[in-house]
Amino acid sequence: MKIDKELIEKVSKLAKLKLDESEKEKYSKDFKEILGAFAILDKMDVKSVKSSFRPIEEKDILRDDKVRESITQKEALKFTKHQEKGFFVGPKTIE
Amino acid sequence: MLKEHIKKVKSGEIKLTEYVKEVLDKCKSINKELSYFNTICKKEALEQAKEVEEKIKSKKAGKLAGLIITVKDNLCVRDVESTAGSRILKGYKPLFDATAIERLRKEDAIIIGKTSCDAFGFGSFNTNVGLDFEIPKNHQDIERVTGGSSGGSAGITAVADFVHVAIAESTGGSIESPASFCGVIGFCPTYGRVSRSGLISYANSLDKIGVMTKKVKDIAPVLEIISGFDEKDSTSLKHKINLKSDVKKLKIGIIKESLGKGIEPEVKKAILKIIEKLRKKGFICEEVSLPITFKYGVPTYYLISTSEASTNLACLSGLRYGQEEDPKGKSFAEYFSEVRSKHFNDESKRRIMLGTFARMAGYRDAYYIKATKIRTKIIEEYKKLFEKYDVLISPTMPVVAPKISEVKKMTPLQNYMMDILTVGPNLTGMPHATISAGDKEGLPIGLMATTDHQEEGKLLQFLEIIEGLQ
Amino acid sequence: MKFSSDIVIGLEIHVELDTKTKLFCGCKRRTTEEPNTNVCPICLGHPGTRPVLNKKALASALKLCLALDCDLSKELIFSRKSYFYPDMSKNFQITQFEKPLGSKGKLQLKKGKIVNLTRIHIEEDPAALIYPKGMKGSSYILIDYNRAGNPLVEIVTEPELTSPAEAREFLNQLVSILTYLKIFDINTCTIKADVNVSIKEGNYQRVEIKNISGFKELEKALTYEVTRQKTLLRRGLKVKMETRGWNEAGKTTISLRTKETEADYGYIIEPDLSTIDITDELIEVMQKEIPELAQQKSERFVKEYKLDKVDAQVMAMELELADLFEKVAEKIDPKLAARWLRKELLRVLNYNKKTIREIKFDEKEIIELLSLMQTKTISETTAQRIMEKLMSEKFSPKEYVKKEGLIQVSSESEIRELCRRVIKEQEKAVKDYLAGEEKSFHYLVGQVMKLTKGKANPILTDKVMREELKTAK
Repeated sequence: MKIDKELIEKVSKLAKLKLDESEKEKYSKDFKEILGAFAILDKMDVKSVKSSFRPIEEKDILRDDKVRESITQKEALKFTKHQEKGFFVGPKTIE
Repeated sequence: MLKEHIKKVKSGEIKLTEYVKEVLDKCKSINKELSYFNTICKKEALEQAKEVEEKIKSKKAGKLAGLIITVKDNLCVRDVESTAGSRILKGYKPLFDATAIERLRKEDAIIIGKTSCDAFGFGSFNTNVGLDFEIPKNHQDIERVTGGSSGGSAGITAVADFVHVAIAESTGGSIESPASFCGVIGFCPTYGRVSRSGLISYANSLDKIGVMTKKVKDIAPVLEIISGFDEKDSTSLKHKINLKSDVKKLKIGIIKESLGKGIEPEVKKAILKIIEKLRKKGFICEEVSLPITFKYGVPTYYLISTSEASTNLACLSGLRYGQEEDPKGKSFAEYFSEVRSKHFNDESKRRIMLGTFARMAGYRDAYYIKATKIRTKIIEEYKKLFEKYDVLISPTMPVVAPKISEVKKMTPLQNYMMDILTVGPNLTGMPHATISAGDKEGLPIGLMATTDHQEEGKLLQFLEIIEGLQ
Repeated sequence: MKFSSDIVIGLEIHVELDTKTKLFCGCKRRTTEEPNTNVCPICLGHPGTRPVLNKKALASALKLCLALDCDLSKELIFSRKSYFYPDMSKNFQITQFEKPLGSKGKLQLKKGKIVNLTRIHIEEDPAALIYPKGMKGSSYILIDYNRAGNPLVEIVTEPELTSPAEAREFLNQLVSILTYLKIFDINTCTIKADVNVSIKEGNYQRVEIKNISGFKELEKALTYEVTRQKTLLRRGLKVKMETRGWNEAGKTTISLRTKETEADYGYIIEPDLSTIDITDELIEVMQKEIPELAQQKSERFVKEYKLDKVDAQVMAMELELADLFEKVAEKIDPKLAARWLRKELLRVLNYNKKTIREIKFDEKEIIELLSLMQTKTISETTAQRIMEKLMSEKFSPKEYVKKEGLIQVSSESEIRELCRRVIKEQEKAVKDYLAGEEKSFHYLVGQVMKLTKGKANPILTDKVMREELKTAK
């Protein structure tokens, strides 16, 4: 696995972050250092180990299918000035 | 301290509105110097005080009537700016209270402000504040850090000359680090003990809400109110918190890896002194080892937490709330990137990218999945020790509060490695706390204690013992 | 993968479940006219909010998996599928990636073909996007989060369907099962499909068509796409592996975006949701709630009521029709009931563009009508007309027949007289018939019908007319 500007570009695209050249250099360097140190994980064999996605588990938590108060349209839209006729205005999806 | 204060409030000995006004003025001047607050909610606090005064008159006041509370800025407080310390949420005033806040309000605690933190909790020194935010300063030496990411919480807890409890949060050590550097008590309960509904997430399987106080006695009354199952949080524990413990002689394990290389000699000395005192009092203190935790803990923590964080921060993209631009005419990729890149600080970008990478196809198994498996082994390692011991102790941080300028010179990796002592209990979700163990030329040193899952009672018992030693 | 048929189609169907609330929050599931009125901080993706799983959605999905003969996973685990898009309020979708709830299911088509199902899983719906100036001309979009967070079940088939018609039939069968299980209401729930289609001549190069709503549109889109691919190949061009959208208005598929890189969804387990154990006890409870499904019902109809296979299948397709049939069959000859409901009721529903749920009458009216027919009191033509009238109002056929004097003319002497009269009056037609034109016979019978206002017993009239015409020579 090559940690280089190309990888940083790919990752930043996925993460929707626009980086300039100096940032790409910086993060590339950081990645190299961090992942270099984290390579120690290769030393541990965990093939037969089960993952812990949570440290302590509470199981079977479900919610009854009961209607709860929604907020008003006004409240939903109050945080943005880009709205039109009750809709949120958003960027294009088709080129 | 807390109990006496509430008594005085309820009896009318303390005139609450006046009292709150004074507190607010004090905080204003503290903030000018030390930058502990992102927001001081003067209007709301005084309104609350008035309401509580009425309730006191009709003898309907709650269990925490008149208790001054500060809240880390990553917890939502209704209609009060809650930014998680990041510019991207500047101006965001939530429509709802975090459950912990709701429960405190119900018992008539008074919320006076939102405290400074590293943006989204990404930091151990509170130097990774968001763009346009100020770095909080250690009250012992303003050139030094408070620790992070709950730096503001620790700072105000240390300097407040009024009865106060800070509501803080820990993901990898964010309660312990600042509490240790500021010389106050930081208490982090079991994962799931306090509902995370309304906590702006860093890492969902690691975030825990806790408290900071000056006295051990002040922890339980607040913890009792904020903890407990919440139907809005599917990970909150159903089992009620047990705050009492009367184990005859707690068996103590000293984590040997925490007193080896890389620990400042003064820190080591302070811890050993405490151990000596404990032994004199008849406590069994034996050396124990957590080899997997100390070898793999930091990478494991960072891979899991950034993987989760990178998905949590995806919703911050200039739509529906938070900072925005004009979306018209732009493609969504363009627009999202624009807003995010503009307002996320350096560390936020770094952790988002690290986390995005760790779960990418082709890397996911070696990084994200592998880390979750090592987590299992770390939990096992701790559980094994708790079969024999009641409490495990270590220094909280390997150093005393460094200079802000020193921290700025550190590489990201060097920063991350400073969490070496705190990632263990955070990964395992076990209750842990830090308490003062002395100082180095006035700079506080912290002792960290960890107990098994759901053993908050034992932890409190132990803290009282340590408090009694000094 | 090896294929043998000319056309290879796979479906990925998204079914909205009939619950009161959304999948992860307590907002109403039904959308209202006004945008962003069925929303809350959770489905709007506000910071600090967390999902909590809807019990009914889980139960519905489980029942579907059981009805489709799936293997069930032992634990219900959700994942975050990360991708940025304006319809995603969190910029990730909570879905099931690692282990779907159901896998290796089966659905049987009418003629017996079994279609294998790869997986069935639960996920949340994104928001609705509106293009103010059409898909291609808008410089921005409008977003309505009413739909965001609705509970969906995704069903993925193996690429085993071999024609657009077969794909449509698959959907019909699926909807029948969904309504039988009472987990889907065609009036308030949407069902959408993404399809994968490839053809032999194109070396089975797959094209995906996304987001097709409705079965007719599905068949149209598939038919169009197969033609499009064949045309490309005939021209010597290649079929590109891509994603296309179905443009309903223009009746074409349009290229959405060629996949430059495979989307990387960076899956992690959803840490905010609790793991649900799918225990044997839970499965048993769900199993008990599953009613007799269309397939079994149809087989039972053949056995019990001695219906022919096709009639039985049609009767069993829709639960309401099956119930209506069984109630009617209590009093009326089942074969007549089936024939009538299949031919006449469905005809009249189709004509009025109504569904069986919208009819104003019930089995009482049908029983009355059919007993009048059984006793030959009214002619089939009259009965058809009464059927049509019942679509607009509920009334008693018996009383109506009495009131309007629609009782069939069944007296042979009366009919004979009428036939003779018609023969006398329609000289030309008679001549033509005698010359060999069968058409004129029908015309003559029609004239008797005209005189009796449709009340003449058709079979009797036929017989008598032929007799009279013989002697007319």
